[in-house]
Amino acid sequence: MRNFEYQKADSVNAAVTAHAGQASSFVAGGTTLLDLVKIDIMQPERVVDVNGLPLYDVEALDDGRLKIGAMVSNTDLAYHPTVVEKYAVLSEALLSGASTSLRNKATTGGNVMQRVRCPYFRDGVSACNKREPGSGCAAIGGHNRSVHAVLGTSEQCIATHPSDMCVAMAAIGAKVLVTGPNGEREIDFLDFHLLPGDSPEKEHALDVDELITHVVLDAPIEGSRSTYLKLRDRASYQFALASSGVIVATEGNTIRDARIALGGVGTKPWRAREAEQALIGEPATEQSFKKAAEIAFKGATPYEHNAFKIPLGQQAIVRSLTHATAARA
Amino acid sequence: MTDKIQAKIIGASKPRIDGPQKLRGEAMYAADHHLPNMAYAYGVFSTVASGTIDHIDLSKAKQMPGVIDIFHHDHFPDLYRTPSSFAQENKVDETRLPFEDGKVYYPGQFVALVVADTFANARAAAYAVKVDYSADAEPIATLSQALERGGEPKTAKSSGHSRGNPDSAYESSTNRIDVTYVTPMETHNPMEMHASTASWENGDLVLYEASQGVIFARNVMAKVFGLAPERVEVRSPFIGSGFGSKLWIWPHAIAAAAASREVGRPVQLVVPRQQMFTTTGHRPPTQQQIRIGADDNGKLTALTHDSINTTSMVDTYVESTGSCTKSLYDCENLRVSHATIGANHGTPTSMRAPGAAPGLFALESAMDEMAEKLNMDPLEFRKANYTERDQSMDLPFSSIHLMEAFDKGAEKFGWAKRDHAVGSMRDGDEIIGWGMAACNWEALKMNCDARVSLRADGTAYASCATQDIGTGTYTIVAQAVSSITGIPLDKIEVELGDSSYPSGPVSGGSWATATTLPAIAEATRSAIEALKSYAIGDGGAFAGAKADDLSFDDGKLSDGDGKSVAYTDVLGQLKLANADGEAHTPGAPQGEYSFRSFGAHFVEVRWDPGISRLRVSRVVSAIDVGQIINEKTSANQVEGAIAMGIGMALFEATEYDERSGLPVNNNYAEYLVPVHADQPDSVDVILLDHPDYAFNEFGARGIGEIGVTGMAAAVANAVHHATGKRIRELPIRLEQLMSA
Amino acid sequence: MSETSTAAGGISACSITLQLNGQRREVEVYPWTTLLDLLREQLHLTGTKKGCDHGQCGACNVHVNGTVINSCLSLAVMHDGDEITTVEGLSENGELHPIQQAFLDEDAYQCGYCTAGQMMTATYVLNSSHIGDSDDAVREAMSGNICRCGAYKNILAAVQSTRGKV
Repeated sequence: MRNFEYQKADSVNAAVTAHAGQASSFVAGGTTLLDLVKIDIMQPERVVDVNGLPLYDVEALDDGRLKIGAMVSNTDLAYHPTVVEKYAVLSEALLSGASTSLRNKATTGGNVMQRVRCPYFRDGVSACNKREPGSGCAAIGGHNRSVHAVLGTSEQCIATHPSDMCVAMAAIGAKVLVTGPNGEREIDFLDFHLLPGDSPEKEHALDVDELITHVVLDAPIEGSRSTYLKLRDRASYQFALASSGVIVATEGNTIRDARIALGGVGTKPWRAREAEQALIGEPATEQSFKKAAEIAFKGATPYEHNAFKIPLGQQAIVRSLTHATAARA
Repeated sequence: MTDKIQAKIIGASKPRIDGPQKLRGEAMYAADHHLPNMAYAYGVFSTVASGTIDHIDLSKAKQMPGVIDIFHHDHFPDLYRTPSSFAQENKVDETRLPFEDGKVYYPGQFVALVVADTFANARAAAYAVKVDYSADAEPIATLSQALERGGEPKTAKSSGHSRGNPDSAYESSTNRIDVTYVTPMETHNPMEMHASTASWENGDLVLYEASQGVIFARNVMAKVFGLAPERVEVRSPFIGSGFGSKLWIWPHAIAAAAASREVGRPVQLVVPRQQMFTTTGHRPPTQQQIRIGADDNGKLTALTHDSINTTSMVDTYVESTGSCTKSLYDCENLRVSHATIGANHGTPTSMRAPGAAPGLFALESAMDEMAEKLNMDPLEFRKANYTERDQSMDLPFSSIHLMEAFDKGAEKFGWAKRDHAVGSMRDGDEIIGWGMAACNWEALKMNCDARVSLRADGTAYASCATQDIGTGTYTIVAQAVSSITGIPLDKIEVELGDSSYPSGPVSGGSWATATTLPAIAEATRSAIEALKSYAIGDGGAFAGAKADDLSFDDGKLSDGDGKSVAYTDVLGQLKLANADGEAHTPGAPQGEYSFRSFGAHFVEVRWDPGISRLRVSRVVSAIDVGQIINEKTSANQVEGAIAMGIGMALFEATEYDERSGLPVNNNYAEYLVPVHADQPDSVDVILLDHPDYAFNEFGARGIGEIGVTGMAAAVANAVHHATGKRIRELPIRLEQLMSA
Repeated sequence: MSETSTAAGGISACSITLQLNGQRREVEVYPWTTLLDLLREQLHLTGTKKGCDHGQCGACNVHVNGTVINSCLSLAVMHDGDEITTVEGLSENGELHPIQQAFLDEDAYQCGYCTAGQMMTATYVLNSSHIGDSDDAVREAMSGNICRCGAYKNILAAVQSTRGKV
């Protein structure tokens, strides 16, 4: 691992001040940063430790929203009583990600900042516009089965965003609170992660030196139920091939409101708004779910090895909607 | 009397005697040694698949903190190659020395080696070494590419076999199938990364190496450095398993030892996980064509199995997939053949059940296909072709209980309740599939030396250079000593895994048990003879008696006239520390029998078509490997092999980019091996436990490989039963099963 | 934590204090030293294993303040003042810890290389009030600990037989 300076910050402002430009990285859990620094893909000259910041609370706001400190671990968030009770999709998504020990380290802010698993990004030498803008995208025409997208891709990059947590947050709706040299601002969660477009090296809406301090979840949809379904090869400890986080509210058998977000298939945590719209007012039947699933993948672009993700993602949607609307004993 | 003791301790379910060391974190693996003044080495690995090194720029790396030296092809001592002979016990699979020249034959080949004061500094500097290559534009990255443009395959003559008239018999068979199976490159991925901790003193090398064969390793290092073998010691008392990848010395160990001698300090080199996919061997990809002819009664009339695998550009490794095919079933007209073709990969090597694992995937899938064609129960079809004679050797099997394995496995599994119609068995959202396959592995036995001491303090000591790679060798050696002496296991000290001990076998091929235990037993008896000779001598407990009149049971010498003296007293009386015995035992007896192990897997899979989820939910395996020495560790071997077989069936494939030839999933997150959650709901292992005394006095044939064989086929056959899809290419992935 | 005069590439080592297996330890570490490398290389506590160095196998799992983490993905400097327990700290007074005894009894290992990590996760899983006690729940919670020898059946048995004893 390359040599870097280390500074531990004791306040958000001190962290932002210590973070000095592109050559700096914040470290929270470290599960992404150290992985990539060891293989020389991330090359920080200075690492600012944010573990000492007072961002460990999960706070119910008066308006019904839930404010989550950036340092709350994936484990703590997954088992937080409010999350378990009101945001099942988030709890389940968190628990489907990584492993027990990684979830204990990984933080809310860090998970939002996860980097892609594309092997061509990680190998340090293949063409990768994310790592070396302008070099090309070796994943196109290469091995692109597991961690490559069919939605939101561009000719410059097709890597999936690997997070499960973010899929749930995309479904719920959230704001990302950030602090930078110019003070605080909030970014809509759906605007936080950027499509690769022509500049896949720009992955998120943070400015240099900005730090995520909180994620504020929208209030739960009244009377809704939610769930997360992750499909993969082995039964655990694998990034999603396709996943679906859904929130559904029904009146009788009619769908009053619906949210669908997808993982493993998009270049960012993918909100399927058109599919949601197609569900509202429809009966909660397999036929409606299938129709919505089809709409969700309208315009999807399959690559050499990942065309199966389109039907697989559709299956994830249908099954998760079925679970979320099933009669309960 | 000995029989009674043996009956108690041989076959018993005993906890491992080395268990507490492992559980307390006290067992020392190769990279756990931190020698005074030790430096750390980290490799620079080629980032092209084929080509030559134009230039190595060390300017930045040399300025990095802690860097001691950086080796590469223009800065590395001249060494010798090993003759690489199995008979001479100096075999390797990759014969080319590290840094021999500026050529690159595969991605991940060592092109430089940084030595620094800490691991982190060595790694950081290694990433700062910049290497310019002239890369070949079209490297050969896969078996298909090799077949397209890799030139003529090379036929492996020695492993082929033919009898009768296989081709004409096939052509005239009433029922025929002609099918081709493809298996991917697999990587062993033992939990412990390959590691070498090397140090030199007065020109002698001591190497802590993660090795499945310290004698071979010692001999190789002696050859490479031009030393007498006595000047090299290789130690591997604990190894984080190997599955074949640690059988032979790989370039990293030579690089570490050479670097240590050059810098004049101990050097530790751990092969990073990424390069465990490239430079420490792999199971090569295979393409296997199987043709089966059968009559309407389900009797085989012809069988051919022609296979090709990739090897490296510099060495030839044959994956002998037909090794079981030639004798598992009764068939007069049969051929197996193997060929290799070069690819830009490191040299392949044996991976658990080499040949048999991919070979039985093909054969036992094809048997299922033929059974289907004949409308026969797949189990009945196999039984119809049962043989007790190895037709390839024209010898009877020493001991075969395959029919019992079929019957007991089927009964435990409930095979009789199988509805043969595809997709007919359902449970909620899931379709259930049941499949089965036979297992098979050759039983081998090598030369072995051993030493046993009966010590005056009431303990015994046994040593042999062979290794315990996690199979339980420490424990069964102690059981062997105990079975003859009656000394309890907790009073028996066993030392293994050091080339300075009496020569013992490589831990591989399932031959360690059958090889080592007879030598241990012989050495134990020899120690008892020494004890008797002391006892009958002047001042001895039985002074003047005849040795032949004395017997040794339960730790006591007796004369048959009612006098009985504990061996500790026999020694104590003479002020002797111990009575020693040494032994040399030969390989397997030749010419009378074919020695093989057998078994059957019965597998249940569950396929949820609504979410394309496949899992193995239940496994019953009945295994015929002769006498079981330790029930606990034996069952564990088969259970572990079942897990690895599930990995082979559903997950594992080492993949290379067809354009660049670079590996794409060479890490433990994207090369999928089974995790806890993939463990079937139930796994039942039935150990048949019929001693094979024609093979050795313990009647044991070894149990490491056999559980892997046939497992992938049993899963694939179950998948076919559930889905109707016949998957002939591993791994079986969900996209192959999704409806078109 | 305080800076010391040792320098590598112009960057100083830091002095940190750990409560390691019940003992207070003051050590000097560079910023980039992982907790795993500190344990193994500097403190020679080699019971904790390096299986991948990238958080993909669980062999390096240790407890930090009672929580199991992958020590390969944590900087040592981030643990100033933390309570760390490794496999060497499991047993007390020379007796095997109940999880160690269960692993011995159930033969819940083969090569032993993943074993420390398995046991550290297992003890955490057994003490967690959130993780269920069914076989499926334990399998899922333990899935970050790969055992290539495939001793999963026996590991599960060992974990379940230790329930209530830790």
